[in-house]
Amino acid sequence: MSNSKNTILSLRNVKKHFPIKEGVFQNVVGQVHAVDGVSFDIGAGETVGLVGESGCGKTTIGRCVSGLEPLTNGDIFFDLTPEKLLALEDFEKHQSEIKNKHLIDEIQSTSNISKIEGDDFYNYRRNCQMVFQDSFSSLSPRQLVSDIVSRPLKIHKVCADNELIPRTIELLEQVGLGKQHLYRFPHQFSGGQRQRISIARALALDPKLIVLDEPTSALDVSVQAQILNLLHDLQKQRGLSYLFITHNLSVIRHMADKIVVMYLGKVVEAGKTEDIFSNPQHPYTKALLAASPDLSEDVMSDMAALDGPIPDPARPPQGCSFRTRCPVSRTECGWEVDDIIRRLEHHETLIDSIKSVHQPDAFNAKLTFETSLSAIELKDVIGTNDIPKQMRKAIKKIEVDGNDVNISFDPVQTVPLVQSDNGSLSRCVLANK
Amino acid sequence: MKKNAQNAGIDEVNFNDSAFKVRLKRNLEILSNVLANPTTVLGLIVVIFMLAMAIFAPVITEPNTPDPYQMPRDWKAARSAPLTPGHILGTTNRGGDVFYGVVWGARTSLKLSILVVTLTVVLGVVIGSVAGIVGGKVDEILMRIVDVFLSIPELIFALAIAAILGPSFTNIILALVIVFWVKYARIMRAQVIRIKQREYVDAAKIMGASKLQIYLKDILPNSFSPVMVQATLDMGNIVLVGATLSFIGLSEAGIAEWGVLVSEGQAGISAGRWWASTFPGLMVFLWALAFNLVGDGLRDVLDPRTETKR
Repeated sequence: MSNSKNTILSLRNVKKHFPIKEGVFQNVVGQVHAVDGVSFDIGAGETVGLVGESGCGKTTIGRCVSGLEPLTNGDIFFDLTPEKLLALEDFEKHQSEIKNKHLIDEIQSTSNISKIEGDDFYNYRRNCQMVFQDSFSSLSPRQLVSDIVSRPLKIHKVCADNELIPRTIELLEQVGLGKQHLYRFPHQFSGGQRQRISIARALALDPKLIVLDEPTSALDVSVQAQILNLLHDLQKQRGLSYLFITHNLSVIRHMADKIVVMYLGKVVEAGKTEDIFSNPQHPYTKALLAASPDLSEDVMSDMAALDGPIPDPARPPQGCSFRTRCPVSRTECGWEVDDIIRRLEHHETLIDSIKSVHQPDAFNAKLTFETSLSAIELKDVIGTNDIPKQMRKAIKKIEVDGNDVNISFDPVQTVPLVQSDNGSLSRCVLANK
Repeated sequence: MKKNAQNAGIDEVNFNDSAFKVRLKRNLEILSNVLANPTTVLGLIVVIFMLAMAIFAPVITEPNTPDPYQMPRDWKAARSAPLTPGHILGTTNRGGDVFYGVVWGARTSLKLSILVVTLTVVLGVVIGSVAGIVGGKVDEILMRIVDVFLSIPELIFALAIAAILGPSFTNIILALVIVFWVKYARIMRAQVIRIKQREYVDAAKIMGASKLQIYLKDILPNSFSPVMVQATLDMGNIVLVGATLSFIGLSEAGIAEWGVLVSEGQAGISAGRWWASTFPGLMVFLWALAFNLVGDGLRDVLDPRTETKR
């Protein structure tokens, strides 16, 4: 990170859990861990790419950053000077000995977007705008382009009423449209043009940060390139920072300075774009790169496409969350009883004969079957190749006791993000050694 | 790149466009789409005919004094057949002029339907919006109340309420409002929930628009068309149900209202005096049919699924 530039956005251990509600009285029956402890920084004029499969929480992060969703936990800081960022990092390392308390207090009250209120938050609204994926649904069908683009100017009273239209035309010209498009409805435009209108609207308040939530996914390839070039030019002219959310790796390679790879609400790898593309550390990143057809020659060809479902984010796996689909999983990945249940999908009769599951924690369980035969069958199944070898090795104890089967694993802590050789961060037991 | 964007898929460039002109043009386009359907045009012609009759009722017939909504009684000419001089559509067995009842009945029906539709739309839109926007427990409670109202057949429900309140024209209005608001609440809630998830609402939030601004500028205009279609259909249905209630005798006796007139004439049907019931009955039928035709036409044009085709 550059020492002279401000940090536009700093996410610190951000968590967003959505309650699962049921019934007439909307009782909370569980939590979906959409974002589970994410930290990264965006510098001034920098583009940070957020990649991952659908459902990994990348869009939720975008919505948290733009203030649409309140955080469950953690902080998002906006526009920190290098001194403030240092003080904050220092504060987090040594919680007990607070050296410069007033600076921390100042940061909390002026830069923490979930704590600032009133005018300060209004100010943050001006500085952080968003461009959405679906340009159909992001422009109101009943408003004219002139209304859409000038609306933020009106809300924030940026200019006098008679300057609204010239200013709007200026904005349209900056995104490659013109004043002949002023009095038209969004449905009269093509997808690429609508996305330009969205960009003009986002630029209206002259923000420092724009969250781009898959801005080109809905466009065809030739138009994608136009929009990406436009974004690139605007960044150069205005010194914008982008949080670029996408699942398209070639787009991210073209656009981003830094990349954050997410899986199941957690960051699995983060680092400079060229480092991650040339030398990915985490098996998930490797699999993503391998799955991207035009980049296949850059990475190891033995990484097959990922199979198996993404685990339920309401019950994310302990230890390493990727181990259930990881082609190079190991004994120490943090296997748990749920993994056995997940693997029993092909043995329906066995699943059906489970009478009860007593599970004091994720690593110990007592499964009770209807017959002792089923209990023995379970033990046999665990011995076969339906269960990955590394997982079988991780089982500490498996006992058949009449109709019951006692299983226990060695408990494992969540795998931490650690610095690897090339300077990027990765969350994998392989990098941990 | 700029040139490219200007040329792609846009009709001819017109620098004289203004917001007002464009909006006017679009509304005219919608109107011409409505008029493209011949059955809608037929319905519209009948509706205009009915409205003209209601508005010009005092010109068409000499208003009865002191209350023009009361049927004039000409006891000497009671039970006249149609085409009798002075009584072009004949009279009832109590000397009421059927033509007067038909013309002033249009005025009564217009008054009834406009009052009931306005009140129910306002009530339904407010309650539906609250349920959709606030959500959670408020939504659950409001929608269960709506369920209770919807579970009773509307005619029987209106009849029961009007019977409890006692026979009067005001009570019919009240009963119809109580019965008809629930549909609007349902439609509005569904629309609000659908629209509030749209990204343009998120975009407005990110801009810093207030909740009221978002409701008035983004949610309300984009969710109103199904309500408008339902309101047009109900303009017809309400007169139908209202006439039924009057026919049973829940309205004031002797007023110029189609249902009352049908009821007054029914005693004579078996004696061959068909006119006193037939003409007002025909009016109820035409009124309901016409508004239903127009409502269906509007639905085809305003349906959100066909919105992008325009």
